[in-house]
Amino acid sequence: MRPVVIAGVGMIPFERRDEDSLVDMLAMAGLKAMDDANLGDRPVDAVYVGNMASGLFNHQVSVASALVDRLNLMPAAADRIENGPASGGSAVKNGFLAVASGYCDIVLVVGGEKMREVIGPKATDIVACMTHPNAEYIYGVTLPALAGMFTRLYMEKYGVTREHLTMVAVKNQENGLLNPYAHIQMKITMEGVLTHPQAHVNSPVVADPIHLYDCCPVSDGAAAVLLTTEDIANELKRPIVTIAGVGQATDTHTLQERSDPTDLKAVTIASQKAFSMSGIKPKDIDVAELHDAFTILEIAESEHAGFFSKGQGAKALAAGETQIGGKLPINPSGGLKARGHPVGATGVAQVVELVWQLRGEAGKRQVKGAVNGFSLNFGGFGNNVIAFVLRSKS
Amino acid sequence: MNTITAYKCKKCGLVMYPHHFRCLKCNGREFEEIKPSANGKLLTYTIIEQLPWGIDERERVLGVVEFDNGVKALGVIKAENPKLGMKLKAGWEPVRVIGGEKVYGLSFQPTK
Repeated sequence: MRPVVIAGVGMIPFERRDEDSLVDMLAMAGLKAMDDANLGDRPVDAVYVGNMASGLFNHQVSVASALVDRLNLMPAAADRIENGPASGGSAVKNGFLAVASGYCDIVLVVGGEKMREVIGPKATDIVACMTHPNAEYIYGVTLPALAGMFTRLYMEKYGVTREHLTMVAVKNQENGLLNPYAHIQMKITMEGVLTHPQAHVNSPVVADPIHLYDCCPVSDGAAAVLLTTEDIANELKRPIVTIAGVGQATDTHTLQERSDPTDLKAVTIASQKAFSMSGIKPKDIDVAELHDAFTILEIAESEHAGFFSKGQGAKALAAGETQIGGKLPINPSGGLKARGHPVGATGVAQVVELVWQLRGEAGKRQVKGAVNGFSLNFGGFGNNVIAFVLRSKS
Repeated sequence: MNTITAYKCKKCGLVMYPHHFRCLKCNGREFEEIKPSANGKLLTYTIIEQLPWGIDERERVLGVVEFDNGVKALGVIKAENPKLGMKLKAGWEPVRVIGGEKVYGLSFQPTK
């Protein structure tokens, strides 16, 4: 396999975007990545679109074909990749394989989702379509409900408290204030979420023990990366950030069939694969973007990915190690919690943030001197997980 | 009483629910269809306050129950104060209306 370079990145602010269609958003993010790569009029060989549910949310399918038309990228190959909440990561992985194999030289990967076209309970129902149709969906299970059942067990087993969960929310919303692309631009406090007389109004129960501020928002948005070879990236005069490692792993569809439901095996295996391919160890990572769709996941993933041993993630968080300026800043972008989680966009947006961090272009949220980055895109409830290790060569 | 169908691998004995074409432990392809036993214990639960479109309730408790014969399944928990490990008795009732049709599933009540 030949090295794959991320020569261009781009995204549009995640928010409620009533004026833009899904394909508009994909096109805007895609153009930004092409321009960032100095691509000019060079042809793109293939386009991969990460999107979970355009048919259900927007009554439109074949969005990759629609995108190449809008961007005048014909006759480029075009595929939509659907892999639940890991659709974005899967799209980046497929783009990586296309370039690494030598089949393509220039690939555009765009992830996007337009979720606010439907009302909240409908969005919750559409997202719940990823659960098992007979064993889960019919009971009214939601993703927050799966997270609630997981959180209860994790708290019980590892002594994670609501204070710890809230620390993730406070930290990530604080980081979000430094990120102009983040959906949620609001500082919150431990007191306002936990102890204030109005705390139950500020952060009501969604699926006990999960509260509102344990959940990512429902957002519209898109993000894109342009992948190519080292030679072409040099011709385009772009800084060299390579995809040094890719790992993916799966687990049972339902949580109840895992012998230990608190053990996120797919996170462990995907991360190990990405680290082993890159030759970089967890201790060498300078910045990480984890999939904090729910606050517990940032803690659990930080342990399963190998940054902290089991039960130590919450302690590292409480000690400030995961803040910007800490030993291992996690989610300087604000994570899904503040940046938002337009489902298909997330895996791509995580990679975009890492590229900005590794190029030193992350502005006020810059992690100083970052060279190695790690991202983790978590699909289903941990049944399909993709990890990336990125390295800056400059 | 109607209930779910679980699957016991004829080769290694692993009990599975829902259905798989190959055993999760030994890849065996032949299964004995079994019913969960009458009672079980609560492994984990959540109280959902924000229900999805299509469920017209203010609150619903869902939990995973391990039946005495090893079957594990999600269901609606009808207990005032759910507690991890509590003993529950299984029932079968409409749990959701989909396309105007009542869909039946597991419900659980504390054993007296």
